[in-house]
Amino acid sequence: MIVVDQVSKQFKLTGKQKREMGVSQNSHDAVSNVSFTCKPGRIFTLLGPNGAGKTTTLRMISTMLKPTSGSIRIAGFDTVEESQKVRGKIGFLTGATALYARLTPDEIIKYYAGLYGMDDAVFKERKEKLFDLLDINDFAGRRIGKLSAGMKQKVSIARTMIHDPEVVVFDEPTVGLDVITSRNIIKLIRSCREDGKTVIFSTHIMGEVSLLSDDLAIIHRGKLLYNDTYENFLAQKKTRSIEDEFIRLLGEE
Amino acid sequence: MKKAFIIFKKEITDTLRDRRTIIMMIVIPLLVFPLIMNLVVRIGSSQKAKAEERILKVGLVTQGNAAQLKESFLERADMTINQEVDMENIEKLVQEKKFDFVIVLAADFDQRIKDNQSGQLDLYYKTSSENEIGKRRILKIINSYRKDLVDHRLSGLNLDSSFITPLNIADHDLSSLQEKFGEYAGGFLPYFFVIFCFMGAMYPAIDLAAGEKERATIETLLATPATRLQIVMGKFLVVTLAGIISAAISIFGLYVAVKQTDKIPAKILDVIQNIVEWQSIALLLSLLIPLCVFFAAVLLSLSIYARSFKEAQSIMTPMNLIVILPAAIGIMPGIKLDLTTAMIPILNVSLASREIIAGTIKLGLLLEVYASLFLLAGVSLYFCVRWFNREEVIFRGN
Repeated sequence: MIVVDQVSKQFKLTGKQKREMGVSQNSHDAVSNVSFTCKPGRIFTLLGPNGAGKTTTLRMISTMLKPTSGSIRIAGFDTVEESQKVRGKIGFLTGATALYARLTPDEIIKYYAGLYGMDDAVFKERKEKLFDLLDINDFAGRRIGKLSAGMKQKVSIARTMIHDPEVVVFDEPTVGLDVITSRNIIKLIRSCREDGKTVIFSTHIMGEVSLLSDDLAIIHRGKLLYNDTYENFLAQKKTRSIEDEFIRLLGEE
Repeated sequence: MKKAFIIFKKEITDTLRDRRTIIMMIVIPLLVFPLIMNLVVRIGSSQKAKAEERILKVGLVTQGNAAQLKESFLERADMTINQEVDMENIEKLVQEKKFDFVIVLAADFDQRIKDNQSGQLDLYYKTSSENEIGKRRILKIINSYRKDLVDHRLSGLNLDSSFITPLNIADHDLSSLQEKFGEYAGGFLPYFFVIFCFMGAMYPAIDLAAGEKERATIETLLATPATRLQIVMGKFLVVTLAGIISAAISIFGLYVAVKQTDKIPAKILDVIQNIVEWQSIALLLSLLIPLCVFFAAVLLSLSIYARSFKEAQSIMTPMNLIVILPAAIGIMPGIKLDLTTAMIPILNVSLASREIIAGTIKLGLLLEVYASLFLLAGVSLYFCVRWFNREEVIFRGN
């Protein structure tokens, strides 16, 4: 369960940033007064154009950034007060994420299992299951730098899921991936839902929205424009395609 | 702290697989002293031997004077003596290197010697590094002739040679060879150690923070339950260790260099081997450890601030100068370890190392050096952890 309650995030702007953005105020509201809830066994989609505040929101959920105001609770723990416990419950994957090129999949998975404080026996069982499922065994001893993009993606998935997280956060997970490797991610997100995990994923790709969403929130310029089930979104839409509806809601036309 | 250790272990593995780091941390420090020593000894001795063996082209114009001097020159196998010199063009002949040296005696040379006056001898040559030793050889012959002339005159007056040497100077330098060596080489050796300490720590520092940002692995690391302090400690230990290893390897390289050369005079070798004794090395290392801690904390802080590998490098390259400068001041003569200099980081290590090598280090000052270094190391580590906790530093630029 993820409960985001009236969360805002302001970034201080440097002189250079102010000039670049053509603004005079000293801070920029990346996210303002956003509230939503992601439930277990459902996929929550955060849809928005670039710079809408998706990454900032997901970084606050995964405790990397602290909200300026408001609060976030993950599996019952506060992201600021109990950030370590929250991180133990979360699996985090972004499209930009890379792996340590000089280590092998075996070493990387072991490293993260250690950081998640996993018990040795549990780790071994879990690793075996994931490596079998993702077909990693064949290249488990090769350096990451020597692997193909698809193989790396599989290792990233294993890395995200090794500690069997209750909540999984995907920040534009398919960015820069080809159709086949994107497919692995889509499959992963679906299997998380089947396992009863709470899933939040951000995207700006409409195809993914229709493929995956149970619940949908649309964010633009830091503000939430829509927040309901995907079913309701489809039922209420006033235009023909979901893309048109998205544009209409942004008010950009 | 188990998680800090997990991070430490992973970073060590990662670092040791990086070719760039291995070259900077192990290969260069290991080779630099043996190479420098070999090069200096080899080039030095071969140049010297060349200059000594070179056959000098000497023009000798005696105009019938100084038969004994002429004999001395003609006896020499290492010189070709030409007595047919065009007197009008002596300078041109020397300029054009037809002769290395031309010696001209005045026509009235013998007559003036006989009259107890000074005979005129002109020596023409061009100064150059290879002529330096040649000139010494020429002057040796001339001086020996002059001594004969002086002895002859003195004996004509029934005087002993002590008549013209009323002062007998005996030089008693009581400083030991080790002290002298400490004074000279003692300055530049620690200079190298300090630089290796810094260079060895630099690449791992860049790789472990800015590199992690650039490769976008830092987010996944920050998303784990490891605390920022644990992350910093794990990384920081690796960077510190890299600096220490680098410096220690350079000391080992020095040891190897000393062992493999046979051209070093036995006396100096004794002194160097004295320095390479374990007590001195242990003391030197004990200074380098807090210095490495300081370097590691500063480098890691800068590295986490930088957005990319490149930016980190461009921030740190000028730092090299900041490190080299105080280390270089330590080489200058006259600057001593005292209550003030013992507080100045890097310089104090340089000066204290010099005194350790010379065997003259005072405990009080050594403790002050430690205190200064540990204080600084602590402060820089504190800032390093603080920076890792700041969102705007970690996510600077995105």
